[in-house]
Amino acid sequence: MTTERPSLEAAVVIVGAGPAGLACGLRLAQLLDEHREREPRLPAKDSIFILEKGRETGAHLLSGAVLDPSALDRLLPGWRERAPIEAAVADDAAFFLTSRRALRFPITPPPLRNHGNYVVSLNRLGKWLGEQVEAAGLTIFTATAGARLLFGERHAVIGVRTDDKGVDRRGERKANFEPGYDLKTPLVVLAEGPRGSLTKQLLGRLGLAGPNPQLYALGVKEIWSVPAGRMPPGRVWHTMGWPVPRSMYGGGWIYGLAGHRVSLGLVTGLEYHDPGADPHVLFQRFKTHPFVRRILAGGEMIRYGAKTVPMGGYYSQPPAAGAGWMLIGDAAGLVNSQRLKGIHLAIHSGMLAAEAIFDSWRTGDPAAVARTYPERVAAGAIRRELWTVRNFHQGFERGLFAGLLNGAAQMLTGGRGWRDPMLARAGHLRMQKLQAAPRHDWSLQPDEQLTFSKITDVYHSGTRHEEDQPPHLIIHDTDICNTRCIVEYGNPCQHFCPAQVYEMLPAEDGTKRIHVNASNCVHCKTCDIQDPYEIITWVPPEGGGGPNYEGM
Amino acid sequence: MRILVCVKQVPAKDAPIKVAGDGAWIREDVAYETNEPDAYALEEALRQREAHGGEVVALTVGPARAAQVLREALAKGADRAIHVAGDDAHRLDSYAAAEAIARAIAGEKFDLIFTGLQSEDYGYGQTGVVLAELLGIAHATIIMQVQPAAGGVRVKRELENGYFQYLNLPLPAVLTIQSGINKLRYATLMGIKQAKSKPLATVALADLGVSPSLNRQSVAKLYVPVKTKKTELLEGPAKEVAAQLAARLKNDLRVI
Repeated sequence: MTTERPSLEAAVVIVGAGPAGLACGLRLAQLLDEHREREPRLPAKDSIFILEKGRETGAHLLSGAVLDPSALDRLLPGWRERAPIEAAVADDAAFFLTSRRALRFPITPPPLRNHGNYVVSLNRLGKWLGEQVEAAGLTIFTATAGARLLFGERHAVIGVRTDDKGVDRRGERKANFEPGYDLKTPLVVLAEGPRGSLTKQLLGRLGLAGPNPQLYALGVKEIWSVPAGRMPPGRVWHTMGWPVPRSMYGGGWIYGLAGHRVSLGLVTGLEYHDPGADPHVLFQRFKTHPFVRRILAGGEMIRYGAKTVPMGGYYSQPPAAGAGWMLIGDAAGLVNSQRLKGIHLAIHSGMLAAEAIFDSWRTGDPAAVARTYPERVAAGAIRRELWTVRNFHQGFERGLFAGLLNGAAQMLTGGRGWRDPMLARAGHLRMQKLQAAPRHDWSLQPDEQLTFSKITDVYHSGTRHEEDQPPHLIIHDTDICNTRCIVEYGNPCQHFCPAQVYEMLPAEDGTKRIHVNASNCVHCKTCDIQDPYEIITWVPPEGGGGPNYEGM
Repeated sequence: MRILVCVKQVPAKDAPIKVAGDGAWIREDVAYETNEPDAYALEEALRQREAHGGEVVALTVGPARAAQVLREALAKGADRAIHVAGDDAHRLDSYAAAEAIARAIAGEKFDLIFTGLQSEDYGYGQTGVVLAELLGIAHATIIMQVQPAAGGVRVKRELENGYFQYLNLPLPAVLTIQSGINKLRYATLMGIKQAKSKPLATVALADLGVSPSLNRQSVAKLYVPVKTKKTELLEGPAKEVAAQLAARLKNDLRVI
C-alpha cells in the first residue's frame, strides 16, 4: 500500500532538541532577528523545524551533570540569572575506592576541577532552553521522530521523513493513522545525541567514520532525596576503582543538588572483555560502598535513567558535514572524555553550525556549509579542547592503570602521548567469547531499599510506549541469538541493557529464546552499540514514547 | 455549535509518584500530561465541530506548566484556549475549580461544555457537575455518545453491568465524557505549526477571586497503600475454571 504523505518545505531541519539542536535553533533565530529587516530575502523563522522524539522538550535528556558555562555565556548572556541551575560548584574532590575504603586524591586532578562550573539537571536546562527557542519564534515538534533521511542524487541528503503514527504491531494502520511528513530541505542538522538512528543510517550509507571507530560508555544514574546535610548543593565528587574491575573503564559520580537531593551514577566503558558485564549491577554495587551508603541512608530513590556517551574523542569524530547534512553535539562525538564534559561542546557546535548556515543563506550558497562548518569547528574552542586530549580514552584499552599513565603522559606532551594517533578497536569487538573471557561475578540481590532490580529502576524512569506498535528494536536474525550467541557469548544483551529489554525465556521445546520487552526501552542505545554480532538496530518508536527524565 | 472543553493537567500515568513532605500532596517533580478522559472530551468536541460546525475552546485551571495541555489541544485542532492560571491552582477542590471556570467564562456563551468523566489525580468526578449547577444548566455524566436532537442533544450514558441510558437534554448543557467514546487523534506537524498562532488567553486565578480558601474539602492525609497479595486457586475442568475466571475478572476485579 503506498502512502499519500503530506510534505512541507523547510530551510533547515534540526533533528533532536538537546543542547546542540536547541543552541543551533536559537542562534539561527537570533541571527535572523538581527538581520532580517535589512535582508528580507533571508528565510523566515517558521521555515526552521526542530524535531524531538520525546513527549516534551527535555524528556529524553539525561546527564550528570556539571556544566562548563563558556558556551551558554556566548549564546545567552545573563542565562545564570534565569536558567534552572541546581548550584554553582562549591567544592570538588576525587576518590579512589577499594572495596572498603575511599582514598581521597591529595589534590583534585586538574581535569576534574570544577570551580566556576555549575551542577545542573540537563532535563531542566533543556526544557528551559526549549522555552527560549519557542519564545524566539521557532517551533519544536515534540513527539515527532525522524524516521528516515531522504536522499537525492549522489547521496545528497534532501530531507527527513517523520514517523508514521497509529501503526499496529503487525504494521497495519489503525483508525487514527497519521502518515509521517516528508520535510524537504537543503540542510538536515543531525543533533540526535549518541548513536542517533539517522546519523547511523547516514554514516553507514556513506561509509564515513573517523580514524578510530566511536567508543562509547554507558552512564547509569539515579536521583535520591536524602536527609538534610548529607551532600550540600554544589559538591562534586568523582570516584575511580571499586566496584569496576581493573580491566574495565569506569567511574562514579556523586553531585549535591538543591532541595536535599543527590545525583549519582556510574559510567562503564562499553569496551569490556567479559560478556557477562552488567553496568546496572556495577552501579547498584557502587551504592553499597560505605562511602556512598552513608550519603543515601534513610533517603529515597526518586528517578532512574541510563544513557550512552561517545567517549572516543577527536580521532573518533566522523566528518562533521557533507552534502545536505551536518552533525553537531554528541552525534558528532564532541565529548571531552578527560573532563567528562560535552554539554558546552554541544552548545558551541550548535552555534557554529547556525553561524555557518546563516552565512550560507546570506551568500546564497547552501552547499558551502559542508566546508565552512568543519572549518569553524577546527578554528575554535572545540578543537582546541579536544585536540589536547585526543589520545586520552584510547589508553584505557589496557585497563585503568595503563589509562591513567597514558593520561599523565598526554598531559606532559600536549595530547601526543606515546603514539599519535593512538588507534583503538570498536568496543563490541573487544568482547570475548565465554570460554576465553575473564569471568567476574555479576550477581546482585537487590534489597529494593538501597539497591534495585532493573524493573524497579525502569519504573522510576517514567518510561512509556504505545504498546500496539511495530517493534522498535529490530533483531535482524533471532536465530543468531537462540543458537549461536547463547553458546558463544551467553546473550550479553540481557546484561548490558540497563532496562531489562532483552530476556532469554524458555520455549516449549526446552530451548531458550530471545524475548524483547520493547516497552521498557529507555532509549540509551547500548544494544545497538554493544551487541557483538551487530544485529540489533534501534529505530525510533512512535513519537512521544520513551523515558520521562524529569529532573535528570 | 460552540463547545468549551475543560482539560486538566495531571501527573503522567506511569509517573513514579512520591508523597511530598507535607503529606497532603505529591512531590511535584514528575512528568505531567493531559488527563485521559479530558483527551476524549476534546476529541469528541473536535468531532462535533467537524460534523456540525462551530468553535472549540479549550480551558484549563492550573499552574504555569498546565499551559502545555492547552498547546496540545490547540495542536490537535481547538480554535482557541483559556488558561486560568495560579501557582496554587492544583490545590483547588472540585467546587473551587468549578467556581474558577464559571467565573472565567462569564460573558461567553457556550452551547455545550465537555469535561472528562473524572481526573486521574483526585478522581472526584465532580467538577463538571458542580459547574453545571453554578451555571444553572443541565448536565449528564458518563457520556458514551452525543448526537444532535430537536431542541438539544441526545446522549448515551453508561450504566452498570453493560446497561446504557439515552437522554435528551436542552442546551446549554454540561456533559462529562467517558474514556473510549472515540479514538484519539494525533497532533499533526501542520497542527503543531498552526497552534502557535492561535489565541491563548491567560486569566489569573487571583483576579477571579478564587483561591484554595474557597475549598469545601481538604486533604487530611495522602499515603501509598500497603501492597497486599492474595492468591486463590480456581479448581475444576478447564472450561468451568475459565468461565469462573472471566466472571471474577469482570465482576470482582472489574478489569475486563
